[in-house]
Amino acid sequence: MNLLVNTEGCREALIALEDGTVLRGRGFGAPGEAFGEIVFNTSMVGYQEIVTDPSYAGQIVTFTYPQLGNYGITSTDAQSERPRLRGVVAHDVCRTPSNWQCVQSLPDYIAQSGVVGIEDVDTRALTLRIREAGAMRAAISTVDLDPKSLLSRVRSSAGIGDHNYVADVSCDGPRVVHARGEERHHVVAYDCGMKEGIVEHLAQAGCEVTVVPWDTPAEDALALHPDGVFFSNGPGDPTSVPHVPDAVRTVLGKLPVFGICLGNQMIALAAGGSIQKLPYGHHGGNEPVMNLLTGRVEVTAQNHNYGVVFPSLGRLVPELSGGVAEHPADGDLRAWSRARIAPVVRNERYGRIRLTHVNLNDGTPEGLQFLDVPAFAVQYHPEARPGPNDSAYLFESFARLMDGRDDYLAIDVREGRCR
Amino acid sequence: MPRRDDIKKILIIGSGPIVIGQACEFDYSGTQACKALREHGYQVVLVNSNPATIMTDPQTADRTYVEPITPESVAKVIRKERPDALLPNMGGQTALNCAVALAKSGVLEECGVEVIGCDIESIRTGEDRELFAQAMRDIGLEVARSGTAHTLDECERIADQIGYPVVVRPAFTLGGAGGGMAYTHDDLVRIAREGLALSANSEVLVEQSLEGWKKIEMEVMRDSAGNGIVVCSIENLDPMGVHTGDSITVAPCQTLSDREMQRLRDYSLAVLERVGVACGGSNVQFAVNPSDGRVIVIEMNPRVSRSSALASKATGFPIAKEAALLSVGYTLDEITNDITQATPACFEPSIDYCVVKIPRFAFEKFEGTDTTLTTRMKAVGEVMAMGATFEEALQKALRSLERGHAGLGADGNDDFDEEHFEQRVATPTPERILYVAEALRRGWGVGRVHELTHIDPWFLSRIADIVAAEGSIRRLGLSGLDHDHMLAAKQMGFSDAQIAWLTGSREDVVRAVREVVGVRPLVKTVDTCAGEFAARTSYHYLAYERGDATEFRQADKPRVVILSAGPNRIGQGIEFDYCCVHAAYALEAKGYETVMVNCNPETVSTDYDTSDRLYFEPLTFEDVMNVIEVERPVGVIVTLGGQTPINLAGRLRDAGVPIMGTQPDAIDLAEDRDRFASLLDRLGVAYPPSSTAETVKDARAVARRVGYPLIVRPSYVLGGRGMAIVYDDEGLAKYMSAATRVSPDHPVYLDSFLEDAIELDVDALCDGSECYVGSVLEHIEECGVHSGDSACCWPPFSLSDAIVGRIRDITRRLALACHIKGLLNIQFAVRDEQVFVIELNPRASRTVPFSSKATGVPLARMAARIMAGETIADLCLPPEDREVDYYAVKEAVMPWSRFPGADVTVGPEMKSTGEVMGIDTTFPKAYAKTREAISYRIPMEGTVFVSVCDADKRSIAPVALSLSNLGYDLVATPGTAKTLRAAGIPCQVVRPIREGRPNVLDMMTAGQIAFMINTPKGGSTRGDGILIRSAAVNRGIDMATTMSGATALIQAIAALRKGPLDVYALQDL
Repeated sequence: MNLLVNTEGCREALIALEDGTVLRGRGFGAPGEAFGEIVFNTSMVGYQEIVTDPSYAGQIVTFTYPQLGNYGITSTDAQSERPRLRGVVAHDVCRTPSNWQCVQSLPDYIAQSGVVGIEDVDTRALTLRIREAGAMRAAISTVDLDPKSLLSRVRSSAGIGDHNYVADVSCDGPRVVHARGEERHHVVAYDCGMKEGIVEHLAQAGCEVTVVPWDTPAEDALALHPDGVFFSNGPGDPTSVPHVPDAVRTVLGKLPVFGICLGNQMIALAAGGSIQKLPYGHHGGNEPVMNLLTGRVEVTAQNHNYGVVFPSLGRLVPELSGGVAEHPADGDLRAWSRARIAPVVRNERYGRIRLTHVNLNDGTPEGLQFLDVPAFAVQYHPEARPGPNDSAYLFESFARLMDGRDDYLAIDVREGRCR
Repeated sequence: MPRRDDIKKILIIGSGPIVIGQACEFDYSGTQACKALREHGYQVVLVNSNPATIMTDPQTADRTYVEPITPESVAKVIRKERPDALLPNMGGQTALNCAVALAKSGVLEECGVEVIGCDIESIRTGEDRELFAQAMRDIGLEVARSGTAHTLDECERIADQIGYPVVVRPAFTLGGAGGGMAYTHDDLVRIAREGLALSANSEVLVEQSLEGWKKIEMEVMRDSAGNGIVVCSIENLDPMGVHTGDSITVAPCQTLSDREMQRLRDYSLAVLERVGVACGGSNVQFAVNPSDGRVIVIEMNPRVSRSSALASKATGFPIAKEAALLSVGYTLDEITNDITQATPACFEPSIDYCVVKIPRFAFEKFEGTDTTLTTRMKAVGEVMAMGATFEEALQKALRSLERGHAGLGADGNDDFDEEHFEQRVATPTPERILYVAEALRRGWGVGRVHELTHIDPWFLSRIADIVAAEGSIRRLGLSGLDHDHMLAAKQMGFSDAQIAWLTGSREDVVRAVREVVGVRPLVKTVDTCAGEFAARTSYHYLAYERGDATEFRQADKPRVVILSAGPNRIGQGIEFDYCCVHAAYALEAKGYETVMVNCNPETVSTDYDTSDRLYFEPLTFEDVMNVIEVERPVGVIVTLGGQTPINLAGRLRDAGVPIMGTQPDAIDLAEDRDRFASLLDRLGVAYPPSSTAETVKDARAVARRVGYPLIVRPSYVLGGRGMAIVYDDEGLAKYMSAATRVSPDHPVYLDSFLEDAIELDVDALCDGSECYVGSVLEHIEECGVHSGDSACCWPPFSLSDAIVGRIRDITRRLALACHIKGLLNIQFAVRDEQVFVIELNPRASRTVPFSSKATGVPLARMAARIMAGETIADLCLPPEDREVDYYAVKEAVMPWSRFPGADVTVGPEMKSTGEVMGIDTTFPKAYAKTREAISYRIPMEGTVFVSVCDADKRSIAPVALSLSNLGYDLVATPGTAKTLRAAGIPCQVVRPIREGRPNVLDMMTAGQIAFMINTPKGGSTRGDGILIRSAAVNRGIDMATTMSGATALIQAIAALRKGPLDVYALQDL
């Protein structure tokens, strides 16, 4: 809201970044302070989904599209029951939204949930800082307006890896969501901060979903006699999340397994792989990913700061990797997408693991398929929310995997675009 | 998928002359395609009849044919060049239609030419509404209820079934020509009749009205592997009912949720799949019901379009270039994103700014025509602006329009029609946005304005915010605008001029105060990815933000700023953009860092590839100074972008900005009538007696001294805006009272009008001590027809070498006396062997591209080199008086069919939108090509209707005799018939309209008139003539409205009778 339009209730606010950047702006949402890891998201719409995405727990999100809240808040688009991020940074926030589904304005919604926001910030400048310096600790404050003081408090605040955010955002107890239409399968879904969009998509693919808390012992999950187990997305540093990799290990080989985002990382950790932190992560709805099995490119929604190190899963199997014996020296997996090869490594625990998806922007791994146990996982968000629906086929893939089909991943993006 | 190596030579068809609905955006796309394909090793053959384009520069393609885009003519090129493939989706509807006709005629098959980029079947499915509707139903998408009709009866039946209001759209026309919304049965009959006549296959669609629904466009690309991306979403501010080319549009889409957007994305990609777009770019348009989100597919265009040019400029994603590469087998993942040079093109651009496009209209040139915006496009150009918010972009776009607004009103220039105020809020017109703002200013509230306009409340709320901010600025006063409030004002897009008006100050004072409080715009970059990756190109806009995070990068090379021409309008179009592009090329080659400033998204100059740096900014003093203060150039070029930069020259000089080439003083000398007249007197050069006047009384005195007829016009205008010929005191008084509104600060010029004189245009270069006359162009029409509307020929076809020599000599003396450094244009009149100077323009003229193409000397490029310090001697130019063995003719293209109600007559005020060129061994052959290029079918037999004004009665006999000898039957009105009979020429007499029926209109309706010669009486716009000419336009009957035009036409017919014309490549001349 521009200063000349309405100054009522306008609060001065500061945002400070660990690298010393301090920007002045005006507060919106709740007054107070928010400390967290700063990231940026380049989606031009879908702010409600982002604000309510549990994966953003512990983070302050900068929206690169400058006018936020144009169509307000709807009753159908939240990804969890309330905002989960720490803070919102925007250029200009709309108080007079317009859309037939709108039930509330974004700033009111944020305020109601106690989330601190700052607007009238040069969000592009901030984004370029984050791109150059990487995701880092930051704070928004409407209370402490002394740059030096706020900065020093940012520098002494806890890092995102110091806390297991999954425990904060997971559900308290199990709940059951029924399949849409004919029930084909029963799935137990580990809620590490699961987005509603995932539950919806699983249900749409004919799954009855039993959502269970993140720390549910695998034995309890298996006791529900599901046809498959799903590991969800979630916030924070995957290496600070205990229990879940153990649960994955217990389930792998016994039942079909599917993981998304943090779930993908949990599965990789279970297989003894390693995780790396990306410089500033992928947060947006326009990331090109190639399905190496079909050669088709999907425009995907992504939200992660950590990624799997593909070579850490094992040595290449040349006869299944186009005769190539060594991983690309620079780690850039676009060597595989250019050659249209889906390489396979031999993993000590689970046998052959195939790289199925590669990010074409930076050559990071986006999807894994276990060939000797029924499991696959993607780093990106096939449920979108927000973002393109290109990868929604992966939920059908999971259903086909549970049906026992081998070619479950080879589905054309174009299927089901229009019904 | 690998690139195709079985294809080596590719034929690209351009879009022909600039017409409403198909403008220079296709020069941009075609140029990109030529460049991209040649960079990848393909040979490119180009056909385009429009000489003002960069694509028809001999350097752009390997083989360039400036020939008519008719199936016959393109077939000749195919037979001569034997291309392997035809890429038809870069040249708009013209190229697609031509490709369909070529396929149908069997030429493509016979010559083994493969259509790439799209296939004929998909063009049909995209264009034929019934096939399209069926295709959409196949994939479960809803289309508006409709029916196709070939007769009025059918139209009525369908409308009754659907219920009024209905939309009538003719099939196979440009920009919805002939369409409209019918609320009543009477409307339907009127619109449908016109539509049936305009449609190439006499077919119209009558469909359900979706008035009030949101209109959303998706710019989509697809490759042969099946990968699809949405490059940009565009939301129309005006709801359904206004053609998207006439609507204010916004990118990205503002009022849809992610779920709604993704649904449209899925739909658009599915539409491309179903229609069968093998690869390339397409535009899909949807209507979205604002109360329940229901979606209806409106249409899709299986080609690059005006919207794709806009989307390319809005995002930095070069759709046409990528589409060209996709057509030769590349896939999106194999193409690198130009801007980041690190990521693939297979992604969807994310933008972190708001883009607003506003169309520019020319209704003032077509008196009598309705300014209501409908489904039939009438805009002649457009501007685009970028800002951090919609508010900022909207106000920037409004001041980019050069319509006298410094933003969304609030500048002291508001002039509202109080009597019809509410109606003016409710009705979409070019001014509606200002009425909407005023209504909100008057406290109507968003709800009431929404009820009246159906404009989404989000847009109205933003406009209400601008209006609220206006109030705050007024209250605070200039002294109350501290840093934060001044910044807030600038973030709302207010110009210094608006702030000055609101605070009772002056623009320069506001600027100074702004400097003092430290509010300056920051350089931002268009990077396709919202900052996620580093940009390698310098495509910028300016925005006001807190802090000082500028993305300005220093350069080692000295910088030159080139000011281009702003929105296309009648009188200032693509020709000036062409000159600026050439300057960028020439100066880059000379080691400068070139900086382009422009706000027209359709142009080549606003391609980030054209110059080293591009600023997409309005061409106002404030915005240009902002760029200059950032870039600190060694020079600024103001003489290539038409009148727009020329008008800034004085203020820029006063601000201490170094001007390159001709100095503002010299500009003043040429434009100040008195100073120029005394110069001519001193040099002993003749000119028509003239004077200036500020009042009717002054003017009458001048008239007594100089004598009627007089040619009158306001000062400092381009394209003859407000120019007229007056024959008596009454006409003069009428003109003077109207003229004060045109340009209040300047007097009116009155020149003696040289009736029946031959007019000439001269384009010349001067380096300060030497002058080179690039071209002497002889006009076909005599004096009194604006040079922009007149056909012309190089070399002159009827003038003696001695006269041409005198003209060169006068040009040289004047150029030197005016201290021109760069280009100049002089208009001459020759009567009775006497040479008069009509005017001198110390800048590039509209004819520079034509002159350059006709003579082979790239004048604009040479001018830039002169401005950078080279001399004429350095340029190694061919002799001025060399002999050539061909003639090049330029003919103007008129937009009559878009402006029903306006008189179809040429005069001193320019009305044409574009031009075509024809080259051949004789003048008649070259002229015939220009007629074909404008798609005037020259009927080789039949009946010719002849009716000329009294002044032309003496000269009609020889013309009529020729027609008779060529085998045409003649029909004439009684007066003309009398003259013909006296000359012994047989003719049939037809009744004038006012004397009952059957009359000439009935003959036209019955299809009995092949073409007509009808010259209007000077000064009069009433009577039969206007009705007859309008009817001819409606029925597509070719006509000549001047005797000289008629003579040229008959020569052309005679030339065509001798056999088909050859085609020539520019490279062979």
